[in-house]
Order: sequence, then structure tokens, then C-alpha cells
Amino acid sequence: MDILTSYSFIIVAFGTVILAIASGVVGTVSVLKGQSLIGDAIGHATFPGVVIAFMIFGMMETSVLVIGAVIFGVLAFWFINKITSESKISLDSALALILSSFFGLGMVLKSYVQGNSNFSGTQGIDDFIFGQAAYMLRSDVYIIIAAALISLLIFTIFYHQLRIYIFDEAYSRTIGINKNLMNTLVLLMTIALISVGLKAVGAILIVNILIVPAVIGSLWSNRFLNVLVIAGISGGVSAFIGTFVSTAFTGIPTGPAIILSLSILLILSLVVAPKGLGSKIIQSKKRGANI
Amino acid sequence: MSHSIINVNDLTVAYNNKAAVRHLNIDVKAGSLTAVVGPNGAGKSTLMKAIMKLIKPTSGQTSVMDDTSKKALKNIAYVPQKGDVNWDFPATVLDVVIMGRYVHKGWFKRPNNEDTRIALEALKTMKMTEYKDRQISELSGGQRQRVFLARAIAHDASIYLMDEPLQGIDITTEKLIIDTMKNLQKQGKTFLVVHHNLNTVPEYFDHVIILNKTVIASGPVKEVWSEDNINAAYYEMM
Repeated sequence: MDILTSYSFIIVAFGTVILAIASGVVGTVSVLKGQSLIGDAIGHATFPGVVIAFMIFGMMETSVLVIGAVIFGVLAFWFINKITSESKISLDSALALILSSFFGLGMVLKSYVQGNSNFSGTQGIDDFIFGQAAYMLRSDVYIIIAAALISLLIFTIFYHQLRIYIFDEAYSRTIGINKNLMNTLVLLMTIALISVGLKAVGAILIVNILIVPAVIGSLWSNRFLNVLVIAGISGGVSAFIGTFVSTAFTGIPTGPAIILSLSILLILSLVVAPKGLGSKIIQSKKRGANI
Repeated sequence: MSHSIINVNDLTVAYNNKAAVRHLNIDVKAGSLTAVVGPNGAGKSTLMKAIMKLIKPTSGQTSVMDDTSKKALKNIAYVPQKGDVNWDFPATVLDVVIMGRYVHKGWFKRPNNEDTRIALEALKTMKMTEYKDRQISELSGGQRQRVFLARAIAHDASIYLMDEPLQGIDITTEKLIIDTMKNLQKQGKTFLVVHHNLNTVPEYFDHVIILNKTVIASGPVKEVWSEDNINAAYYEMM
């Protein structure tokens, strides 16, 4: 229990919890729009950006690596749009294509860098694949907090517009909501959170903290605001538990620990939540009994 | 009701170089109940979306109250096809109807009691009061259409543009929607409605636009609703 009071744990847990709260809220938009996998493709695609930023600047400074991640996130999204709008390749194929080729590029570059004596201090790159909160610095946490607060602020300002836009895009446009602005804001918030969260959660699993909290939220409530709040809380709680577990037991990466906590929360919700499978089964049994 | 409230001037819209509608010239009379009819692929939804500036015309233009800018759209309550909407979205019936009020509020104010009152009034008109707290995914097709019309009423526009509001709904809802339209017409509102049932055109509407990529006929039902015009739209190769 010394961990809970240790200064470094408190700092790191604070960072991952805030990250997961903001991701849970922002990710709800993609989930309700049916675009969850775009986040997955972007998550994987940021990895080569991290490696290239390291190759160019030669340092493991998060602020530098985040820029590489953001650029590659935007690049991946641009490619996905270009492919789907100008060829007959469908969205899911385009996503798979971009996800795997970008991540493959990242792995090749990583191996090259780590096997090359011109680069030093390359071990840290591995942390960006699965995440390792224990190695997070205070400065990393500050960047997370900045990105999370800015995202939540933007979300709050555009809350009403986003809500109508997600529900009914055509109507929202006729009452003056700018579709491109909405898409751009959601994309930027998503890419920003993915990029700052890489070191904590890792490129492979980061999409999880964008999607699963929203799914949990939708199982518990019929109101958009409640779904957002529940998504934020589930993300935050899971991040805390995951960070604790990975700090307490050496060798357990933070990303998978957080994701496992979220998965457990999801399974529990599926069983007991009002809109989960459990209550559906009970309802259909009741109906059966009435016939 | 002589002057025209919506003008379509030489409108052509093409998707991937294929024309969906060609050189349309249409005047929708203020205070009319105007039906838009035509076979599948005639460009009915395209016309509606072009008026709402949801799609860019290839050539020509549309105007509302003599204004070609997007600002004029504030005067229109648009009711999209039911299928165009995410019905799994976490919202109640009342939430959706209150969405119709934002157009008057600016984006950073929360809906107040007056907005809620207007929304509840609209639900009452559509006989949906008892469903106000119901999750929208649990509604039937007819109930969804009632909610849409309630939102349009709460929007309080002078023009209603409705894309197939009577598609896939029960007869009670159909009668209710038509009665509501006729009541609103008495208050000076204008309706432009995509409609698929040819038998009910003379009963429900006073004006009609018969469309099949071009305007086959357009005007008062009494004058243009003829077998020749209908055949020209539905049975002859264009």
C-alpha cells in the first residue's frame, strides 16, 4: 500500500486518470457515429511518427515525440479519406491498410534505430507500443493534462452542436452547424489525446480507452450527458486501477493493465446494466412467461 | 397565396457526372401544401437537399424568400427521411424535440423553461406527450415520424420541407400528420413534401410537382394532376 502514497505514483496515476476521462468523453462521439475503428487506425499510425521524431531530434523528450505522433495521425486520416473518396476501396479495408502499413513502418524503423550504434537511449521507444506509466515523467503528465483539459473545454463549448450533429447530421447542417468544423474538432481532439497518451497506454491499445468507456456508458443510460459522464468515470477508474497494478507488479505494462480493467468493467456492465444482456434476457423471460 | 416562397432556377445537380436532376424551374407558392412526386431515382430527395443547401448544384440556384444565401434556411424546418438519422443515439423524445429550439437560441445557451414548454406543446399536438421520456430507439416508425414533426413544430418555421414523412407509418399517424399540416397551413405555413402514394395526392395536397429528372408538370393539383402527366413521369422513358 506504500504505492498509493508514493509521490511518483500519484503523479502518474493523475496523468492516466485525466487522460482516460477525456478519452472516454471524446471517444463517445466516434462510437455513436459508428466510426470507432478510425481511432484504432490513427492510434497505430502515430507510432512511426514517434520513431521518426526520435530519429530526427535524437531525444526521448515527450513534447518532441508528440509532434511526430500528431503529424502521422493527421497523415493517416488524410490517407484514409483520400483512399475512400477516390478509389473503390471500402472504409474498413482502407482502415486495415493504413493501420498495418503505418504500424509496420514504425516497427521497421524501430528495429533499425535500436540496432544502429548512431542512436543512443533507444530502449524507451518500446514503451510507446504497450505503454509504461512507471517511466512517465512529470513533464509527460503535464502534457497529458494540457491536452485533456483543452479537449474537454472544446467539447463543453461545442456540446450542443456535437449532440445534434451526431444524432441528425442533415438537420444539424440546415440549422447552421458546420459539418467540417465538427469533424475537424473531433479529429483533432482524438489525435491529440492519442498522441499524448501513447507513452502511458501504447499505440496498439490506445483506441480501447476511446471506445470501451463509451460502450459502457451506453449500457447504463439513455441520455447523452449521462453516457458521457459514465464513460469518463469508467475510463478514469480503470486508468487508476491499471496504473496501480502496473506500478505494483514489475513487468506488467500499463496499457494492457488499464485495458483489462476496462474489459472487466464492460463485462460487469453487460451483466447488470439496465441496457445490458442480463436485463434483456430477464425481460424476454418475463415476456415468455406472460404468453 | 399567390407569391412564391421557394424558387428553383434552372437547377442541375450531378453526382459523378450523372445528372440527378436537370434544369429544374420550380416556384413553391406561399401557404401551399405542395407534393413532390415521381418514380424512384427521379431526384425528389436531391431537389429537397439542394433547397436546403446540403448539396452543391452543378448549375442554377435555389432561393428561399428571395434570398439565395444560407441565412434564409432559418425559415425552414427540414424533416429528413427517417433512415438518415442515428436512432440509437442516447436521447429521449423530449430531448429530440427541444433540438428544434436551438435555431433561435445561439449555441451557448441552454434550453430554458419556455423552450421546454414549446416542445411539450408540440408533442401534445402530435399526441406523443406520454412518450416524452421514452428512449428514441424504442419508438415505432410512425412514432418516430411524429417526433420529427414535433421537432419541426418546435422549430417554429414558416416553411416545412419533409422528405417522405408518410413512408412506412401507420394509418393513424398518417391522418394525424395530414390534419396537422392542414391546421398549420391555416396559420400561413407552407409545406413542400416528398410523397409516394399517388392515390392520396388530390386529397392531401393543393399543389403538386411531378418530377422525373426534369419537371414534368408543376402547379395546382386541379390543373396539372392528369393521367397524361403522371404517365409521362412514371411510364415513359425519359
